[in-house]
Amino acid sequence: MNEAIKITNLKKSYDKIIALKGIDISIKDGAFFGLLGPNGAGKTTTINILTGLVNKDSGETKVFNKDTEKDFRFTRSQIGISAQEFSQDWFFTLEKLLYFQAGYFGIRKKDAEPKVNELFDKLGLNEKRNSRLRQLSGGMKRRFQIAKALVHDPKIIILDEPTAGVDVELRHELWRYFKELHNAGKTILLTTHYIEEAEKLCDSVSIINNGEVIAEGSPKELMKSEGKEGLTIHLSKSSSKVKNALKNFTFTQEDTRIHFTLKDPEKALPEIIKKIVDSGSHIASIETSKSSLEDVFLSLTGKGINE
Amino acid sequence: MNWIGLWTLTSREVGRFFKVYRQTVIPGLISTVLYILIFGFTLEQRISSIEGISYTIFIIPGLIMMNTLTNASSNPSSSLLQMKLTGQVPDLMQAPLSSLEISLAFIIGGVVRGVVNGILILLIGMWIGGMEVLYPIATIGFIFVVSVAFSSMGLLLGQLADTWDNLSTMQNFFLTPLSFLGGIFYSVNMLPDWAQTISAFNPIYYMINGLRYTTLGFSDSDPQYSFVIALLMSIGLSFIAIFSMKSGKKMKQ
Repeated sequence: MNEAIKITNLKKSYDKIIALKGIDISIKDGAFFGLLGPNGAGKTTTINILTGLVNKDSGETKVFNKDTEKDFRFTRSQIGISAQEFSQDWFFTLEKLLYFQAGYFGIRKKDAEPKVNELFDKLGLNEKRNSRLRQLSGGMKRRFQIAKALVHDPKIIILDEPTAGVDVELRHELWRYFKELHNAGKTILLTTHYIEEAEKLCDSVSIINNGEVIAEGSPKELMKSEGKEGLTIHLSKSSSKVKNALKNFTFTQEDTRIHFTLKDPEKALPEIIKKIVDSGSHIASIETSKSSLEDVFLSLTGKGINE
Repeated sequence: MNWIGLWTLTSREVGRFFKVYRQTVIPGLISTVLYILIFGFTLEQRISSIEGISYTIFIIPGLIMMNTLTNASSNPSSSLLQMKLTGQVPDLMQAPLSSLEISLAFIIGGVVRGVVNGILILLIGMWIGGMEVLYPIATIGFIFVVSVAFSSMGLLLGQLADTWDNLSTMQNFFLTPLSFLGGIFYSVNMLPDWAQTISAFNPIYYMINGLRYTTLGFSDSDPQYSFVIALLMSIGLSFIAIFSMKSGKKMKQ
């Protein structure tokens, strides 16, 4: 499958601060890709270099195999970006702004009209067509930001923190819409603080920290390779021999509750059950807790994504 | 060329100032009428004619020029700074628009505002002041060339400015004083020699006198020289503004 985005050894410094230390990212055409990392990790810098807002120091950024500087007209027309920060405008209505946005991408007003109508409909902004941006709520501004990214019908959609500051209902609504766009064949690059968002939506992710990619793969693979899962067993009758019987496992015991941290609980479970039963204890219940990308993030960086 | 993109941004730039015509067109007209009424009609009786031209009519070309260059420069500079402060610059930088197309759109926006204001003041001068224009086509051509020069300068200032304070400094400490010292209200011949020598270094002196020649047929400076300076300024400043945009200085990180 074609690569929609390929970033090779990308470096960028601001004065003496190194923002990117040599990033490599490859995103397949049609992927739903997540770029995860804490504030200041280099996510937005990476995106801004890709879209022409920031000049790189060195490295290569390609979109559908074309260089983003030499072939900027082609590469920028392939990308629609919904920036994290809202833009403001004091003069024009939402409708006018959307037509301007289409115009910048070389689309005439009459050719943009069906898409503009579709987006106003789809994103629930119809009643606000003739409003100014300052009259909108935060959620409405976010919807408009997304409409602006989509008005030229790009193949690649970059969503930089697309659900930051929106309520739960809108977040779920937007997630459904992003999935719909992905199912329609769009390549999506998502940056987010919400781990749940990445787990729910992305088929592959890169974790970036201090300007470096520190892990990549599908959320499942990452959770498998980096994460650990929890297994809690409650005993109805505890034998004194149980502790010794389980000495090969990592666990903690409080009275009749034993909690294991395991790499692969499915594999270990039969052996654990057998050892507990053989020790003369009785099992009352078994619970497993799945590890999340948050755990992966924690184990790789030593801190939470929002810290 | 992304012609549709260029047209879109240009129409945004022109549409923006027409939308706020109370701030961008009307004030220049009102102040010109006041200048003509107060300076002209009241002082005219006390000031003898300059080179056979009545004082009211003498000051009109200078007023046209001052409005033209102020409006031409402030359109791109304030629009671009406003875009910076409201987070709209990425919309342009991330679109398939080249630095040339972005620059041209802003320059054209400023030129339209400069020319519209210049011609309106010219019409007021003809209507209220009773001025007759000797070379109408050269007059409009001169207003156009000066608008290109100062619109390009405005674009450069807009790129470099971070705050409104930066822009008003330029306006209040350079453009307005240089306009007044360029001979709106006097002929440089009335000044002592040293002041005449200093005036020769003020580019706006040539703009005002060039226009005074195309309208009234009188000029302190050689009219051809004035036109060449205006033309060189418009070419030079537009190149600098476009190259600055290309470098991304203060626009990209």
